[in-house]
Amino acid sequence: MDDLLAEFIAESREMLETLGGEIVAWEADPADRVRLDSIFRFVHTVKGNCGFFDLPRLEALSHAAEDALADVRAGRRQADAGLVSAVLAIIDRISDMVEALDGGEIFSEDGDERLIAALAPADEDEAAEIAIPVVASGSVAANPSLHRPAPAQRSIRLPVELLDRVMSGVSDMVLARNDLARRLREVPTDASIEGPFERLSGIIAEVRDAMTRTRMQRIETLFVALPRLVRDLSGELGKQVMVDIDGADVELDREMIETIRDPLTHIIRNAIDHGIESPAARLAAGKREIGLLTLSARQSGNQIMIDVVDDGRGIDGQRLVDKAVAAGLIDAADGARMSQRERCDLIFEAGLSTAEEITAISGRGVGMDVVRANIERVGGAVELDSIPGQGTRLTIRVPLTLSIIPALTVGIAGQRFAIPRSAVEEIVYIGKDAIEFSRLGSATLAKVRDRRLPCLWLEQILHGMTPERARPARLMVLRLAGCELFALAVDELHDHEELVVKPIAPALMATGLYAGTTLTDDGSPILLLDVGGIARIGGLTFEGQDRAARSAEPASTAVPAGEEVMLFTGLDGKRRAIRMAVVGRIDEVAPDALQFGAVGPRVVIDDRLFPLAGVATLPDPTADKVRLFRLTDGRHEIAYALREVIDIRNLEGGLVPPAVPGEIEGLALIDGEPAEVVDPHWLFARNIREGAAGPGESAGRQPVCRLVSDDPWLQSFLRPLAEAAGYRIIGATDAGQADIAIAMEDAEPAEVAAAELIRLRAAPEPGPESAGSVYRYDREGLVAAFSAARRRLAS
Amino acid sequence: MTDLLLVASLGGRRVALRAAEIQSVIELDAPTPVPGAPRHIAGLSALRSRVLTVIDAGKALDLPDVAGTHRRHAAVAEVEGHLYALQLDGVEDVVEALSDCTPLRMKLEHGWARAALGMIETADGPLLVLDVGEIVAGPNDAAAVKAA
Repeated sequence: MDDLLAEFIAESREMLETLGGEIVAWEADPADRVRLDSIFRFVHTVKGNCGFFDLPRLEALSHAAEDALADVRAGRRQADAGLVSAVLAIIDRISDMVEALDGGEIFSEDGDERLIAALAPADEDEAAEIAIPVVASGSVAANPSLHRPAPAQRSIRLPVELLDRVMSGVSDMVLARNDLARRLREVPTDASIEGPFERLSGIIAEVRDAMTRTRMQRIETLFVALPRLVRDLSGELGKQVMVDIDGADVELDREMIETIRDPLTHIIRNAIDHGIESPAARLAAGKREIGLLTLSARQSGNQIMIDVVDDGRGIDGQRLVDKAVAAGLIDAADGARMSQRERCDLIFEAGLSTAEEITAISGRGVGMDVVRANIERVGGAVELDSIPGQGTRLTIRVPLTLSIIPALTVGIAGQRFAIPRSAVEEIVYIGKDAIEFSRLGSATLAKVRDRRLPCLWLEQILHGMTPERARPARLMVLRLAGCELFALAVDELHDHEELVVKPIAPALMATGLYAGTTLTDDGSPILLLDVGGIARIGGLTFEGQDRAARSAEPASTAVPAGEEVMLFTGLDGKRRAIRMAVVGRIDEVAPDALQFGAVGPRVVIDDRLFPLAGVATLPDPTADKVRLFRLTDGRHEIAYALREVIDIRNLEGGLVPPAVPGEIEGLALIDGEPAEVVDPHWLFARNIREGAAGPGESAGRQPVCRLVSDDPWLQSFLRPLAEAAGYRIIGATDAGQADIAIAMEDAEPAEVAAAELIRLRAAPEPGPESAGSVYRYDREGLVAAFSAARRRLAS
Repeated sequence: MTDLLLVASLGGRRVALRAAEIQSVIELDAPTPVPGAPRHIAGLSALRSRVLTVIDAGKALDLPDVAGTHRRHAAVAEVEGHLYALQLDGVEDVVEALSDCTPLRMKLEHGWARAALGMIETADGPLLVLDVGEIVAGPNDAAAVKAA
């Protein structure tokens, strides 16, 4: 019985969640039969179940609502605002009662009668008795599933704890696989083991992906409650608001959904309370009477972006500045210099509120600062953009999951540590482009981009050792929660990695230096640094410093709008720019690490092979180093060769698109001079597809190449080439469809079962009837033919 | 009900831990050091996909170092949701407790006093039973003493 009751509670809860949106939609269009039906089904199901469980009060409520809705369905009565509100109130009560039932509490009986009475048509108050509870017999407990629409997907309920256990089992499996792989590499390899091992690896990768998805939930669970919230709020405030929701099928870690639930609710409250004007004010401003609130979610890389856009009055930057000056947060001179964006950002300062009057909905200026703190706590960010009179856009970015965070690993005294990518503002290359370091007493300042930043040595903070060198080996600029910047010197910069972060023991947490730990592929632990803690222990104090620095050098340090790009000179000497977001790091390699082989240019960095771009012109052979960007899309990495880095700039204004689409996305004006903006998408699309996919992640099926004869030249010369290009080789008579076939020109095959035929000729120059054939030692031509065929196949 | 005890050596003495509190005994590789950690924390290690915080049990109890011990064995225990590996000088056996745990009516020195739960009689003679939680907590001043 307890199990059944728990099932009833869970089921009711699920239905309640989806119902909120339905009711609002129904109110907007009372003729909408589908919505009416689904609400009717809910109360009907609850009523049926209540009889079964002997819950007379719940039954009376649901029965009354069912009766009223049945009248509407039968056309005996019209759905009006009063009825909708009454039905909503009953559903709220049912929800509260279900929660109380779950907690084993007794729910107060007050008000049930009143709720039921409210269902009665307004003009016949005396007729309230039609809704007096009528206790139906238990036989009504018909199979509720008959009344529900067929579910699109079969689903079961599982305790999260069980999922976590399976998840950790899968993690163990991955580590065991990695361990085995390492051992297999150390002993002489046996081909009969390699095959099954590759298969096992593939299966494990698949299982891990599937398990990761079990933690994911559609953001719909967060969005379904919002139409109701908007309806209630706007009703209370005497405003008219229409909600438009987009991207409800975006998936997000379920813990992350819980984390952003409150901040998102708060933002919506603000938008309706402060943003959207009253209908009269809107008409006066020449807008539609009904305000529009648009909510949209989309995935961008490993982040989820949630936009909340209203078409209300926008944020009055000047008033925010005035308030901030009045509150002593900034001084008037600073305020006058601020851009609209900076002014808007003042809304995130504690203790500021733009509302003329304080309302019960949004309360006092407590809020947006808390919202931002909560989002940043999980590695996210909040951005705000507002045009006075036209509306406000607020964007929340959060990582896909709580437990997996993108991080950079750094080395110090031979040990590796991880730093969350979200805290890394920029990586400073210390080479010939001199960074100015000043020693002030025991402190160091680094001048990065015209700005003197306090500089901490990680080694000193962790090991208490005073640095001997005046200049660090590597420098990174880190951003603290309040946007303050500082520089951190480390010995080495390693990879960009996605790390699965686990909590650390309280005694280690107490050091204030670490935020968690994680295991590398070989199973050894790495510590994740707490950037805020490092700054604190390093003795940095930031109060107002950021603004002071800004007022000292207003021209060069104002935070401009636009996308950050890295300005550099290509190997061919051209001025180019690439978006900062894709630049993982900058490497230097010896020129002999570059390889220009049949598979396209490649470069060896730290014993790994990367596709290489930016080498239309070869590097100066006399140089002892070649500089490379390591570009990443979160999954793959490619290297991009360059001559030197110029600086970081912002991309403002539009791009002039090139005549032919390709590596260059367009031409931009930066500092008044043109620069070619590199299109990372094109680079990745081109290089990742051509590169042979690694084991376990081969995209799609392997292409098949048919060698049309047993010609020894084909078998011993061509076969390895085709295999290297990623083809599976079959013989002339083997069954199956081949993607390409290769035949010697003189051989005359009757019929070749292949999508495409490449014919090889023996003579370097094409003869009269050998158009379209390839000279058999034209290696580049052959490789090009193979990859062209593969590209066609893939597209 | 008979309690099982894990018999180990620590600081040149034989001691006992309640076997019910110990998940397993493992051999430890060199742990990953944690700069700035309290001195009784030797570092981090991994047990399959879980991270272990390695506790130097000798330092946790302020015991003098015993020459010639390797500290390769560690007892794995979970305390408040975190896994710890307690580095011991040696692990001998699992024995049955033949008596209840009775208080030791004598003054103990170093950290013994803090971690000792009492004495239990076994077939091998009496053993001092240690509290895993106290070993993990380390010296009281631990948080303040950084390995600077």
